[in-house]
Order: sequence, then C-alpha cells, then structure tokens
Amino acid sequence: MSWSTDNRFAYNLFVEKHKVILIILIFCFAVLSMKLFYMQIIKGNYYKKISEQQRINTAHERAFRGLIYDTNEKILVNNVTNYVALFYPFEQQYEPTEESIEKLSKILQKDIKPYIEKSWRYGRVIKLAENLTINEVFKIQENKLFLPGITVVKEPKRICHDSIENAHIIGYVNELRAEEIDNIDNTELKVGDIIGRCGIEQSYDKYLRGKDGGFSFEVNARGKHQKTFDYESPIIGNSLYLTIDTELQKTAYQALKNSSSGKGAAVAIDVKTGAIKAFVSCPSYDLNKVSSAKDYKRYLRNKNLPFFNRCIQALYPPGSTFKIVTFIAALEHLHFDPYTIENCTGKFELGDRFYVCSSRAGHKKLNLISAMAYSCNVYFYILGLDLGVRVIDAYAKMFRLGEKTGIDISSEKKGFVPTPEWKKAKMKMPWLKGDTVILSIGQGALWVTPLQMANLMATVANKGVSYKPYLVEEIKDSNTKETVYKHEPAENEKIELEPYTWKQLHKALKAAVEYGTAKRTKFKTMTVAAKTGTAENPQGDDHAWVVAYAPADNPKLALAVIVENGGYGGSVSVPVAREIFKKYFNINEEYDEDFINGIKNGIH
Amino acid sequence: MAYIRLIFSKIIKNIDITFFISLLYLLFIGFVAIYSASSNLDNPTKHITTQFIALSIGAAGMLFLAGFNYQYYKHFGKIIYILSCLLLISVLLFGTQHKGTKGWFDLPYFSFQPVEVTKIMLIIVLAAFIDKHWNEISKLSIFVKTLCITLGHFILIMLQPDFSSTLSYFPVTLVLLYVAGARLTHIFAVVLYGSLAVLIPLLVTFFKLQPKLLESSKVLTFFVTAPSNWHNAAIILGSIILIIFLIKWFLSKLRISISWAYPIIFLAIVLAGSFSSIVVNKSLKEYQRKRLIVFLKPEIDSRGAGYNIIQSKITIGSGKFSGKKFFKGTQTQLGFLPEQRTDFVFSVIGEEGGYFLAQLTILFYFLFIWRALVVAKQARDRFGSLVAMGIATMFAFYAIINLGMVMGLMPVTGLPLLLLSYGGSSMLSSMFAIGILISIHIRRFY
Repeated sequence: MSWSTDNRFAYNLFVEKHKVILIILIFCFAVLSMKLFYMQIIKGNYYKKISEQQRINTAHERAFRGLIYDTNEKILVNNVTNYVALFYPFEQQYEPTEESIEKLSKILQKDIKPYIEKSWRYGRVIKLAENLTINEVFKIQENKLFLPGITVVKEPKRICHDSIENAHIIGYVNELRAEEIDNIDNTELKVGDIIGRCGIEQSYDKYLRGKDGGFSFEVNARGKHQKTFDYESPIIGNSLYLTIDTELQKTAYQALKNSSSGKGAAVAIDVKTGAIKAFVSCPSYDLNKVSSAKDYKRYLRNKNLPFFNRCIQALYPPGSTFKIVTFIAALEHLHFDPYTIENCTGKFELGDRFYVCSSRAGHKKLNLISAMAYSCNVYFYILGLDLGVRVIDAYAKMFRLGEKTGIDISSEKKGFVPTPEWKKAKMKMPWLKGDTVILSIGQGALWVTPLQMANLMATVANKGVSYKPYLVEEIKDSNTKETVYKHEPAENEKIELEPYTWKQLHKALKAAVEYGTAKRTKFKTMTVAAKTGTAENPQGDDHAWVVAYAPADNPKLALAVIVENGGYGGSVSVPVAREIFKKYFNINEEYDEDFINGIKNGIH
Repeated sequence: MAYIRLIFSKIIKNIDITFFISLLYLLFIGFVAIYSASSNLDNPTKHITTQFIALSIGAAGMLFLAGFNYQYYKHFGKIIYILSCLLLISVLLFGTQHKGTKGWFDLPYFSFQPVEVTKIMLIIVLAAFIDKHWNEISKLSIFVKTLCITLGHFILIMLQPDFSSTLSYFPVTLVLLYVAGARLTHIFAVVLYGSLAVLIPLLVTFFKLQPKLLESSKVLTFFVTAPSNWHNAAIILGSIILIIFLIKWFLSKLRISISWAYPIIFLAIVLAGSFSSIVVNKSLKEYQRKRLIVFLKPEIDSRGAGYNIIQSKITIGSGKFSGKKFFKGTQTQLGFLPEQRTDFVFSVIGEEGGYFLAQLTILFYFLFIWRALVVAKQARDRFGSLVAMGIATMFAFYAIINLGMVMGLMPVTGLPLLLLSYGGSSMLSSMFAIGILISIHIRRFY
C-alpha cells in the first residue's frame, strides 16, 4: 500500500535520516528549555532586579552631611546649596543630543563633553555640570526647549571655614565613582554618593552621612512618568564636636608658614586626656577648592606636597629630641649619675672616624643636665656606647616609637626603630658601634612622626601616663542634640620609671628652656620644659625640631614642632612653639631678648 | 455539503490528538499574549481581531487543503513553481513598500505578503522534484538543480529585499536533500560555503564593535582587517593552502592516499566562500550585520543592536517561576520590550505567564513538530513524506531561531514564532501548511 512496504529499502534509509533529524530537534529544544530554566529559575532574581531598576527611577534628594564644630562650638564645616544640571534619560535616549551638549556648553562657557563621558552609565541619570550660578540656572530654564531631558536640581555642598588650616583634619569629600562600587562592602552606597576621602570626613563618614530622601517614580521605556511613589525627606547626618581649637590652629599655621622654610608640622596634645588641640601641616591646601579639577591638579603638582599630612604621614629622624630617651635609658639602665662631669672637645673619636658635637668648639666640662640643656652630642655618644643598641631600642619602643599612636584618622605612619637584625637583612652589613653612636642622638635609620613625638612629650610630662590621641570629642544627633558618641580617654599602659629619673629629666628639660637651646620659649609667668633638635637630613637642609610641655610644674599641653629643612631647632622651631603656648595659655608677653638671655636675672 | 461532512468525518476519524491539542494550545497562548501586549493601546482589541480573522480564513483554507488530495500537487510541480515565481515578480512590480521591503500587496482591510505563501509552494515544488529524481539524487547535477530551484526564489526575494524570509529556504532544501539520500559531501560543501560567506562579515563586524579587544590583540586585528586588506587576506589564504598540502603530504607518508580532487575542491569552496562574503557584506546593511552577530555579547552595543536582546532576556528572566500575571508585566506594559506582539511574543509569555507557561509553550511546540515529523514517517508515498518533512522543518527552523533569539542564543533575524506571533500572512500560511499536513495524514492508509 504505502511506500514503506512498496519500497522497503528506500524507506528504511529515509527512516534512518528521519531519526537523525528528530534527534537534532530534541537536542535543540532541550537546549532551549535549559536556557529558559537558567534564565527564569536560576537567574530570575537577577533579571527581576534589573527590570525593577529600569522601571523605577529615583529622584534623590541628597541628605546634608553633619556639621563639624571645634572645641569652642565654632562651626568648622557646614553645607550650602549648589545647583546641578542633570540629564534624565528619556525615549530610549540615554545621553543628551549633540545640539543640547553644544547649547549647554555655550551657556556654561566650558566644554561639558568630558564630564558626560566620565559619568555616563546605562540608563541612569547623568550629571552634566555643578556649581551653577543663578544666572546660568535661569539661562538653562529659558532654553529648556533646546535642552531635552536636562533639568537643574539643588544639591548640598560642603563648605569649610578656615579651610586651609583645618584641611588635613577635616579632609575632603567627593562622589563615589562607578568603578569603586564593587570594592565597597556598604551596600547602601550608590554611585554618585558623597563620601569622605580622608581626615575626619573619611573616618567618621558613617556618622556624618545622612540618609538620602526623595521620591521614586515609575517610568515607561520612553522615560515618561507613569506613577509616583511616596516622598521621603532626607535626614541630616550627625554633628561632630572636635577637640581642635581653631584659634590655636590658625596661630600654629601662621607661625609655621612664617618660619624659615614654611614647611613643617605642629601637633599639640592635652596631656591629661590625649585630646589633640592643634594639628597643623604646612603648607596646606584649600579644602573648598579641591573639588575643582584644576585646583586639584595644581595642588598635586606643587613640589611642597600640600596634600601630604606631615603630622602623621611624614617620617623624620628625631635628632636631638631623641636624647630624652637616651637620658632615661642611662639613668634607668645604668643608674648613671647625672652629675658626672665629662669634657666635650667638640668632637668624638671612634676608631678611625670623628663624630662632631653641636658646638664645634666644644662645650668643655658639663654634667648630664647641662648636656641636655645645651644639647651636647659628645656626652650622649659616650652614654650611647655604654648603653648599646639593644637598650636604646628597648627604651625607644617603650615610648611607643615605631608603632602607630592610634589617632582617629587614617593613613598614619608607624615610623621605624632600627635593629642590628634589620641592618643585617637590609644592607648585608653588621651593626657597628658608629651606628649606636648616632642612634643615641636620634640619627640613623630612626624615623618618627611629629604626632609620635608630641605623644612622647605628653608621656614624659605625665610621668609615664599617656592617652591615645584623638580628634573627635563628641557626636550628636543633629536634630535631637542627643549624644550618639562621647570619647572616653583611652589610657595607654603606664611607663614605670624611678621617680628620680623623672625628676632629673624634668630638671634637664626645664634647664634647656632656662638657659639652653630652647630659651626662646621662656616666659616670665610660666615655666616651660622643652628639648630642641636639629636633625641631619641627607636629602637637604637640617630639620628643626622642638618638643615641649607647659606649665612645667603642672603640665597641661605637650607639643612637637618640626620645620622641614628649617635649620637650627632652637632658633627656628622654638619660636613656633612659643606662639602656640602664648595662644593656648593666653600669655600676653612681648619677646624680651634680655630676659631670654637671663641678663636681668643675673644667671649665667 | 456532503463533501465537507465527509472531510470532517475523515479528519475526526484520523485525528492525531496530540497534534491538535498542541496546535490549540499554541494558538490560544498566542492570542492571550498578543491581547495582553496590546492592552495599553488606544484600541486594545484591534490586533487580536485582525489575528482572529486571519485565523478564521486560515482555518477555512486548512479544511479545504485537508480535503484536497495532496498527491495532485506532484504532477504540477513545474506549474506551481512558475506560479510562485510570478507571484514574487508581481509583488516586485506592483507591491507596496513596508519598512523598506517591497513585499506586500495592499488589499482593502489588510495587506498580504506573498512570500509567506511561496515558501510553502516551494516546499511542494522541491518535494515534487526530488521525488521525481529520487534515484539520481546522489548525482551532483540533480543536487545542483535542486539548489537552483531554491536559488530562483531566493534571488527574487532578495530583490525586495527581505533577508529574513529567505532564511528558512536553506534548512528546508538541505533537509529534503538529506532525507532523500543526497551525498553528505555535497551537503557539507554547501554548508561550508554558506557559513564562510556569512560568518566572515559577521565576525568582522562583531570584533569591530570591540575596539578595546582589538587593541589588546594584534593577531585578532590581523584577521579582522583581512577582508579589507588584500595583503592580510593573501597571507591567510596562503597559509590555508600550505596547511592543506602539509596534511596531504603527511597522510601520504602514512600511506593514505587521497585523490587530489578533494583538497582542490575544498580550496575552491573556501575561496568561493571568502569571495561571496564580500557580496554578503555589501548586501547586508551595517545595522543588519550588527543585529545578526551582537547576540554573542549584547553588552558591546547595549544601546543599539543589543538593546532588543538585553530587554528580551530581562523580560523573560524577570518572570521567574510564577510570572507577573497577564496585563501586569512591567517590561511588556511599560514598553521596555520591543516588538512585543510579533518577534518577541514569547518574552511576553515568559514574563507574564512565568516559567510554567513558557516551558509548556516550548513543550507543546516540540510535540507539534514531532507529530508533523511522524506524519512524514507515516505518509503513504515518498512525495507525502517529503512535503511533510519540509513543512516540519520549516516550523522547527522558525521556532528554534525565534525562541533562541528571544533568549539570546541566536541572532536577531526577525523571524516570527509561527502560530503565536501577530501577523495575518504568516498565520494564513501556517494554517495552509497544517492543512497540507492533515491532507497527508488522513490519506496515509489508502
């Protein structure tokens, strides 16, 4: 009947090929089914999220960041309103038309094209320009017909007062970039959100950042409004109250700026709590200007490195200020009698090498107290050799050199205390006696930050008690004024020394002010204890150091000042310290050359 | 009347229940999806009404064709071919242009696309020709003649130009030749030639869309610039020749000798394919080439050629298991999904109906084609088998390409999902094809 029986052979061949076709068909449909299963069941949530994202457009109203106050409740940072031009995608048009770009560039008198390329993301709102003037806002509104999809909205902008002096404490903020979002754990952040990049703005970002508000609306594929959802008002971030005294900050900055090189750092710490009262790195940058790319680049190119926070990021050899540690080590470890007389000839011979003293002519006969006061190197060379590198290292580490102080802003350097093992590993050379000699006066591979030295001085002033330095005293809710966070002084482990050691050390530090190298910070109404340093710097001029605390009998404020490549510590850094003390203790005293040199008192 | 009753009783007696249930399901779900996708329009019932009218006419035609003995077609192969060519020529002369394609007759109330009917006529013509030359099918001359029949239609349609409608011609012709017993080497040669001609311009377009990738790879740049740079092209062809001769030499060392004819023919095909690729490159517009290849990585042109695929995938995926319910799919109703009543109608089912209905649709489509293949297997004569095979292949090809396209597995070709997509002409021709299938099926025993 049918051809399956008429022509069996041909039919069988046909059926075989028919089978192949059927198998191919089954295979194709199985693949299609698997793909469907993969898309809807396995990746369903992913696609659902995307479909929601492109359906719901949110008009964000950005929350104000919290305000920042100084210790006297003076406003350091607040917000102003800034006009921003945005492009909303519409009718499957995901970027502004060429004509509208041209038009807007003409209105703003700058090319906005690079800006668009930077911030374009598929189907998202694009920021075209910011910091618009009222004039520009009106012009954009007038030309609305020629600028399809472009609108002007208000956005908060951060304004800092005394923005140069406080720049390194506050730090700058800017927008979260698209390429960063994947590396951030916080899932609430979105591209374009303002986040702190350094300083307080960074480390207290989660307190300062408020909660964005706004309303979301449904759009169709043409970007047309379909319906609007509830409006949520933005919530301002918490307010921060700092330990910093702005007036002191300004004084310190001015003094550093007027110093010989104009580069340096000054840190002042409240001895009783660890609160930082002044924290200045000079030169600094204007916090209100870094948001403009031009100024940012200018700062970046500046050879004096204004972005560099010298208080915590710069490492310097401590120079003679380190003699404090050598002094303590000698009295504690060797039970050295500070009234032992040594003769300083101005140079010290070890093997075939000579090590010079700060005075070429030599200090002649002196004891340890006056060796401290005049900063005689030779005396300390002798002590250093007696102590040996291990003991000096141990005492340096006891005073927390080579470790971070734990201040509440990031990128602090920890410094370095050299050891014989390090030298062996690094330079393939054994530790020599000469290395110990220079280590005892704070040279060699010893590196410290100004903050570490200020902290060391606070510890000395407090007879071994010290606190973790901090900048933020209190955090309050901006609306209710309720305290969210209050700083509790965090005491470090106490350094236990013989009372005699402290007594002799304090005496020596007072002597340095009374008649020694630090006499330029001598006041009639207050005694100051200090130690200067002139750190040799292989790259350039010496760094001028001073570490000090006052009043000497009841210490309140400890500080460290360094003037980079400044020259001699006693004449360059000490006047800066004097200005800080004058401001902090409200001393109205003219600089009196005769009094400083002790002529009126008849001493010396 | 009596005749119609006879046909009815014949159909009902010989009905293939799986085939009919699948068909009814596909038609039903298609109507639901089209209606849901037009619910936002000013006139939501317009499309569905048109579609229903087309279905009614199609069903009448189906009954007519089912009653008509398909075996008569066999003797009129030549006439049908001439008729179909005349139809295509007349549309070139008197037709109207829609979306840049001169392929429509505008009649009162609706417009009609002759290519939808000629594709079925061609199946009959091919089946008749192959049936006639069944015993000589392994001869190259018959093979080439068969291809020429297809080519005649192809050229006429490309003159419209309607690229996507010609696509199903190749698989149908090749499958018919294959099941009739044509030599595999012949089929392989055609496939190789065709893929070279199409893939070269498409791949070049694909890589040109990714300038970063090109910058990082010099080898790739070398290959991509070859079609426009004679120097590079010569190097590539030269190295292909060298490799072929090396293989031949190596095989001869192994004492396997092959006739020189094979490598030379192979080379000739490679050369012909490469040269034809230039023609293909010219005949396809830039946007068409992009659309055809961008499915490999839609993100590289997410705002242009890749937009449809990206949106279709989002639409289907976001339906998840339970779907967003009909009339409530955000992608469909807010217009993110393009071409939602025609090419991407399956995405509407995926989004609003969810995984269950979408998978059911795929399953019923498979059952439908499978039963069509069974018709081919059970047919009374060779001619019937070939016609049924051709029709099944056409349905399968459209379904695989369309479903693959909406899920991002296949290029965006603009082929509709037959029986579901909105479109009067394709509905009519699908129903006619089913009528012929039924005609073959109910006559299988006598």
